[in-house]
Amino acid sequence: MTKNLFKPFLISFLVASLFACSESEPERPLGKYEQGILIMNEGAFGVNDGEVFHLNTNTGELRSNVFELENGRPFAGLLQDMILEEDRLYLVANTGKVEIVDARDFKSIGSVTEDLDISRSLTLSNGKLFISDYGPYASDFSTPDSYVAVVTAADGGVVSKKIPVSRKPEDLISFGDFVFVAGSEEGKLEIIDAISETVTASIDVEGNPAKFVESNGRTYLYAPGNGEAFFHEINTSNPGILSTIKVSVENPIGKSASDEAGILYILTSTGFPDYVDGVARIDLSSQTVVQNWYKGSGFYGIGYDPLAREVYVSNSNGFQGNGTVTVLDQDGSENRTFEVGRGPSGFLFR
Amino acid sequence: MILFVWVLSLFGFQAEQQDTVRLQEIEVSAPVFETFGLGKKQLNWDKATLENYQSRSLRELLQEKSPLFIRQYGPGMLASPNFRGTSAGHTAIFWNGIPINSPSLGQSDLSIIPLAAPDRIDLIFGSDGALLGNEALGGSILLQSQANFQESPTASISQEVGSFGQSATAFQAGFSGKKLAFQTKVYSQKAENDYTFRDLSLPGTPVKTQTHAAFSQKGIQQDIAWRINPSQRLNTSFWYHEADREIQPPIGSETQDTQEDQNFRLSLEYLKFWDKSRLEVRSGWVRDDQLFNQSFNQTSSFFLSGDWEGDLGKDWKIRIGTRGTHIQGNLSTYSATDQRLETYQFIRFSGLKNINLSLNLRQLMVEQEWQPLLPSLGMDWILSPAFSLKASLARGLKVPTLNDRFWQPGGNPKLLPEESWQGETGLRWNKGPFHSELTFFAMDVENWNIWMPKGAIWSPENIRRVRNTGIEWTGGTEFALGSTRFKIDLAYNYTKAINQSNSEESPTFWNKQLPYTPVHQAQGGVELIRDGYSFRLSSQYIGQRATTLDHSRIMDAYSLSQLHLNYKNLWLGPVQVPISLRIENLFNKSYQVLYLRPMPGRSIHLNLKIQL
Repeated sequence: MTKNLFKPFLISFLVASLFACSESEPERPLGKYEQGILIMNEGAFGVNDGEVFHLNTNTGELRSNVFELENGRPFAGLLQDMILEEDRLYLVANTGKVEIVDARDFKSIGSVTEDLDISRSLTLSNGKLFISDYGPYASDFSTPDSYVAVVTAADGGVVSKKIPVSRKPEDLISFGDFVFVAGSEEGKLEIIDAISETVTASIDVEGNPAKFVESNGRTYLYAPGNGEAFFHEINTSNPGILSTIKVSVENPIGKSASDEAGILYILTSTGFPDYVDGVARIDLSSQTVVQNWYKGSGFYGIGYDPLAREVYVSNSNGFQGNGTVTVLDQDGSENRTFEVGRGPSGFLFR
Repeated sequence: MILFVWVLSLFGFQAEQQDTVRLQEIEVSAPVFETFGLGKKQLNWDKATLENYQSRSLRELLQEKSPLFIRQYGPGMLASPNFRGTSAGHTAIFWNGIPINSPSLGQSDLSIIPLAAPDRIDLIFGSDGALLGNEALGGSILLQSQANFQESPTASISQEVGSFGQSATAFQAGFSGKKLAFQTKVYSQKAENDYTFRDLSLPGTPVKTQTHAAFSQKGIQQDIAWRINPSQRLNTSFWYHEADREIQPPIGSETQDTQEDQNFRLSLEYLKFWDKSRLEVRSGWVRDDQLFNQSFNQTSSFFLSGDWEGDLGKDWKIRIGTRGTHIQGNLSTYSATDQRLETYQFIRFSGLKNINLSLNLRQLMVEQEWQPLLPSLGMDWILSPAFSLKASLARGLKVPTLNDRFWQPGGNPKLLPEESWQGETGLRWNKGPFHSELTFFAMDVENWNIWMPKGAIWSPENIRRVRNTGIEWTGGTEFALGSTRFKIDLAYNYTKAINQSNSEESPTFWNKQLPYTPVHQAQGGVELIRDGYSFRLSSQYIGQRATTLDHSRIMDAYSLSQLHLNYKNLWLGPVQVPISLRIENLFNKSYQVLYLRPMPGRSIHLNLKIQL
C-alpha cells in the first residue's frame, strides 16, 4: 500500500525504534520539517498564493510560506493536495503543476510543469507518478476530457501519457501495480494498471467519490451523497470493491479525517444560502453518526493529529486574508485557535 | 452657467478666406460641479493635455498624472480606480453627464476608456452623492466631449508605434458653421504585449515572453452641436467602442480567457437660455455588451433628466432637477430591470464677502424604495490674495449592482446600499509662480459590500465599516529662464483606509489597512519648453501594499519614470507635423502592481501627427 494516512507517523515511529535499537547506525539529523504539522493552504483563485505552513509541535513555532522560504520563489499556484511518499513531498497545484520537494528541508528536487490542466491529486506506483486531472474546461465549464497523467520518474519531468478517465477525478491511491481513482462526477471507481498504464476496470458506485480513507486497517472510498455517505471498501489484493457501508448524514462534503480508533470526522455544509457548516463523527464499525459533533461556518479543511489525538478544523475566513485553524479534543471542545495561510484546506501530521 | 463672449477674430471660417473678417463666438460653460461643488478637491485636464495621451487609455493618464491608485491586472488588462482608499465600485464615472459604469458590475475598466475620445476630464475627490448621485463615494471621473462653434476647421491624424507590438492610430476632424458644429474622432489601438518577465512559478525562474495579453480596441465618436437660435441649442454625441482582449493570466496559470466588449453611448442635450436662467433636458442611452469566453452579458440603461438653473437676486443661484433611469440587464445567469427616479436641488450663496457657500440635496428612489437623503455642504473662502480655504461635508451612496442583487446563484436581493460620510478641508496658496494645496479628508464607509464564499457559492454581504483618512498635497511652479519655460509639479498622498471591527470577519482582519491600498504615494514632473521643443521627465512612487486584509504578504514599493520628448514646429508646407518620443518605465524596473501580475519593462513609443 503506497498511501496511508498514518504512514508518516508509523515511519517516524519505526525509524525512531530502529535508531534506538542499533547504536552502530549513523544518526541522521532530523530535517526542519520532518517533525510537526504541515498545513496546506490552497490560496485564492486568480491570485495563486497557495503555500505550506509548518507548525513545530515541540516549540510551537509556526513557519509561514515554507516553499518560498526554502526555495526563494513563491509557490505561485493553487495548492490542491500534498502527498508524502518516502522523503519526497508532492505539492499538487490545480493551476496545472506539481512541485516536488525534499520532505526534510523543503528544497525543490523536481517538478511537473507542462501538459497539466487542473491537477487534483497524485500517487506513486512502480516508480511512476500518476496525477489525476480534470482536464481543460469546455466552453460550458464542463470537463469532458479528464485524465490521469503519467510521469515516468518519481522526481518529475514530462507527462508521458494521459489516461482518459471519467469526469473530474479526485483522490488517488495505489496498491501494488494498481492505481485506484475516485471518479467524482460520474460516480465511479476506476482502476489503472500501473504497468500497462490503462484503465482495467471502471466500477459504478453510489455517491460522488471524493477521497480514500483508512479505518481499522481497511481502505474505503468515501463518496458523499444526498443525505447519506457511502464508504466503499476497497479490495486491495483483487482490485475491486468488497462491500459498501451506507450511513445517514446530512450535507456531507468530500473532506474527512480518521483517527487511530477508526473514527471518521467528515465536514458537512448546508451550502448556499444558509451556509451552516459542521463536523459529523462517524463510527464505521457500529455505523453510528453524530451529526453535529462540531458546528460553525467557513470550514475548509479537516485533519487528525494522531500524536496529540486532536482534530484540526480550518476556516477560510472568506478568503479575504489568512485562514484560521481550530484544534478540538476528541469531545469536540475547542483547545486553541491559530492563524495560518490563505484557504487552509488540509494537514499532514508527521 | 453660460457666458457668451463675442470676440472679433482675424481668422475666417474657411481656410481659403483668411482675409475675411469673421465674428466668432466663444462659449464658456462652467460645469455644474464647479458652480455647486464647493469645498472639494478637483483636478482636470483640458484638450491640449489630452492630445498628448491620444494613443493611450484613461488608466495611463490617471497613473501618471493623478494621485489615484490604479489596480491593474496587466498592461491593457482590467484597471480600476481607487480614490482615497475606497474600492473600484466607489467611483462614479460620467460621459457628457451620463453615468457609464456598468450597472451589472458597478464599475468601469479604465483600460478600455481611450483618451482619443474625450475633450476634457475632471476628477472630483471624495463623497458627493448630492451633487453627482449614485456611486460617488470615493470620487468621480467626468469625461466631456462636445463639438465647439469657435473653432476653425481642424483635421489631424496621428500614428504611433511602440515596443511590444503597440500601435495606435487616431483621426480627428471638426468644423463649425453658424448653426452647426461637428467633431469626429476615429481611433484604433492595439498591442501584442509580448514583453518578457521572470516566471516565478517555475524552477529556476526562467525569463519567458508573455503570450496571452494582446489587445486591440477601436471606436468612433461623433459630436454634433446645433444652435437652433441664440437662446436654444442641441448637443448630441455618439460613441461606439469595442475592445478585444486576451486576458493575461497570473504567473503560475495558463488560462486562455478572452474578453470582448462593445459599448454604445448616446447623449442628447437640449439647452434653453434666458437672461438669468437656463433649462437643460438631457437624455442618454448606454449599452454594454460583454463576451467573456462563451459567457455573454448585456446591459442597457436609458436616462432622461430635466434641470432648471437660475439666479435669484445677485447672491443666490439655484438648480433643481430630476432624472429617471431605466436599466435592463440580460446577463448569462439572469435577466432583471431596475427603475430609478431622483430629484436634486443645488443652492449656491455668494452674499458674504470672499465666501461662497453651497448646499446640495438629492433624493433617490430605486424600485419604488426611498434611499437615504443625500446632502452636501461646501464652502470656498478667499482668506487673502494668496490663501484660500475650502471645506465640505457630504454623504455618498452606492446602490447594490444588478449582479449584487440578482446573480444566480448567490445574488442577495436584501443587500443594503453602501453609504459614506465625508468631511474635507483644504488650504490653497498661490504666490507668484508658485502654488500649493494641502487637503485633509476623513470618511466613514458603512455597509461595505464584500462577496463571500458560502460553500461553493459566493454571495455579497454588507460586512465592513471602513474609516478612511488622509492628506493630499500638490505643489508646483512655472517660470521662464530666458526663452526656456520650466514647469515643476509635485504631489504626495497619505491614505489610511482602516477596516473597523465587525462581527462577520476574523479579528485578524480588524484595524488593518485595506489590501492594495498604499499608504504613501508621490509623484513629480519637470518640464522644459523651448522653441517648439518640450521635454518632460515624470515619476511616480507607489508605496507598499498588503495583498490581503491581515497583511501576511506585503508587496514592495516601486517607482516608475517616463520621458516625453516633443517637437511641434515641424512643418511640411502648410501641414504641421508634431513628432513625439515617449519612453515608459525609463529605468526598466521590474514590478508588479498586483501580486504575480508582471508588468512590462522599458518601452519606447514614437508618434507622428499630421495636423491641418
